[in-house]
Amino acid sequence: MASLSLKGIQKVYPNGFQAVKDFNLDIEDKEFIIFVGPSGCGKSTTLRMIAGLEDISGGTLEIDGKVMNDVEPKDRDIAMVFQNYALYPHMTVYDNMAFGLKLRKVPKDEIDKKVREAARILDLEKLLDRKPKALSGGQRQRVAMGRAIVRNPKVFLMDEPLSNLDAKLRVQMRIEISKLHENLGATIIYVTHDQTEAMTLGTRIVVMKDGVVQQVDTPQNLYNTPCNLFVAGFIGSPQMNFMDAVVKVNGSDVTLTVGEHVLKVPASKKKALIDGGYDGKTVVLGIRPEDVHDSESFIANSPDSVIRSKIKVYELLGAEVYLYFDVEGTQMTARVNPRTPLRNGDDAVFALDMEKIHAFDKDTELTILN
Amino acid sequence: MEPAQELEKALAELKRITGIALEVRADTPEELELALNQVHCLSLAYKEKYNKNHFLQNLMADGIPAYDIFERSARLHIEPETSRVLFLIETKNPVDDTITEVLKNLFPSQSKTYQVSMGERSLVILRPLKSSETPEDISHIAHMIVDTLNMEALAHVQVAYSGTIDTLMDLPGAYRETSLALKVGRLFYSEQTVFPHNQLGIGRLIYQLPVTICENFLKEIFRGEVPDTFDEETTATINKFFQNNLNIAETSRQLHMHRNTLIYRLEQIERRTGLDIRRFEDAMTFKIATMVINYLQTERNS
Repeated sequence: MASLSLKGIQKVYPNGFQAVKDFNLDIEDKEFIIFVGPSGCGKSTTLRMIAGLEDISGGTLEIDGKVMNDVEPKDRDIAMVFQNYALYPHMTVYDNMAFGLKLRKVPKDEIDKKVREAARILDLEKLLDRKPKALSGGQRQRVAMGRAIVRNPKVFLMDEPLSNLDAKLRVQMRIEISKLHENLGATIIYVTHDQTEAMTLGTRIVVMKDGVVQQVDTPQNLYNTPCNLFVAGFIGSPQMNFMDAVVKVNGSDVTLTVGEHVLKVPASKKKALIDGGYDGKTVVLGIRPEDVHDSESFIANSPDSVIRSKIKVYELLGAEVYLYFDVEGTQMTARVNPRTPLRNGDDAVFALDMEKIHAFDKDTELTILN
Repeated sequence: MEPAQELEKALAELKRITGIALEVRADTPEELELALNQVHCLSLAYKEKYNKNHFLQNLMADGIPAYDIFERSARLHIEPETSRVLFLIETKNPVDDTITEVLKNLFPSQSKTYQVSMGERSLVILRPLKSSETPEDISHIAHMIVDTLNMEALAHVQVAYSGTIDTLMDLPGAYRETSLALKVGRLFYSEQTVFPHNQLGIGRLIYQLPVTICENFLKEIFRGEVPDTFDEETTATINKFFQNNLNIAETSRQLHMHRNTLIYRLEQIERRTGLDIRRFEDAMTFKIATMVINYLQTERNS
């Protein structure tokens, strides 16, 4: 397998559109890297530049220490699985997986060995004689993966490979891909716009927006310490709640005022607000839905972080309940225990876990507390 | 190549396409030339009569008179009146065996789907259209062609596709339309890989304007001083401003720039071009003008 290094990578199309700006990333051997971001953020373009399917306008791409900018895709030792894959309809699963190797004139016995090994890894051994028509969506997807595996590449590049599958199958295939990464010990770069997919699969995630890398970190760190408002809002489902809050410093006490609600900032979070000179300024307060509590005991223990509102929507998801309500005109979500007595139209009291709050500068949108 | 070698090659080609093995004796250079011509003519005649690819190639290149189309298609067992869609595939590098093999196997029904070479870097897939297929299905097939060639042949390709072709008479027109889609798409929407024939927007309009009209338009807009290019930062600012529907607050936020800095930059652009792109009318003129500039630059380079 391989390590990759992207230094100052840029993509400018002939019509002047700059799709990727100054992309810097070092990818270690056997890492599972995810490029995530909204559509048009440059994640697929970056992947296609790594693959050699797009010219690199600026910067350097290295695979295993060798500059690859002008190397043809077929000489980069990569394999790709893209969104709109198609299996050859008249060929069996075996032939579908063997086809690419046959075209490259690989000896028959070697092809057979590679196909059977890939089939074993993907649990396709019993399906090798079937035609694509006789396969389920998930099985077809695994065959597409198999075609990449038999190439035995240094790097796997995957561009939204699951987006044509239904929700249930996607969950199943996510697990399969995760297992595949473990079994192959492969370096994988995976593009998705789905943050759940990103969080569950990646060892590290690259969050992109408008061609610019916003943050590169582990799923855990991205979730707990987002570097800016965009990352905070993009990672996590339901997304983080945001509201404007005015910072007030009174001696050693710091409060955040949201309309009529005054929230006391805990000692661990005060310093950044005081040192940053935010006294009297408005910041964006962020809190994850699971850190908004409705239990009586939590509220009793947190009298300085209480907010009141009326429940607009009660949504039962089985293991949890989402409660939607407004605070000062901003919609908020609380993720609570399904045993909650709250229902649509009820007057509710919540307490925020102030140790878990985030605050962002209103102008720069950068985090203040992390 | 020596004439004798050329003759040998022509004979081999004749054998390949007809199965007829000829032996030619030519003692003088004149006889050799005559023989070579005759063998070429034989190959061509055979291709015209029996080769579907050659027929479709000629048809798309407008080389077959309308009155001859039905008769020749019948001779070649090509159904003249059936709904089809044309995919024009253009590759960055010359089309190789891997690409043709992948496509052949992607559309294995050779009696119904035709793969026609249209040059070193382009080929056409003429595929029957099922009555249940929607424009979304056709778009999906085009994307599938791109992705499959990316994955299997590791080749960079762009694909344009036509609307429904109901008879072979419409094929030359569909090919022209699709070729235009590819050219316009590459010029104005180069970040895409699939270009539907009917979604070319204002690019189609500009592409079909004569160069002199474009030049006069630019002279009129920029009062003689046509900006060749803007620096990277200015281009990024303009693109972002347009993406955000001329919204200053949103653009400055996304560019991590103070709104006054953005306003200063927009004023600089106005000073340079005479267009205040904060106004819808000037923004529209500016957008079209930059597309025209791109078009003219490409024309000059080609």
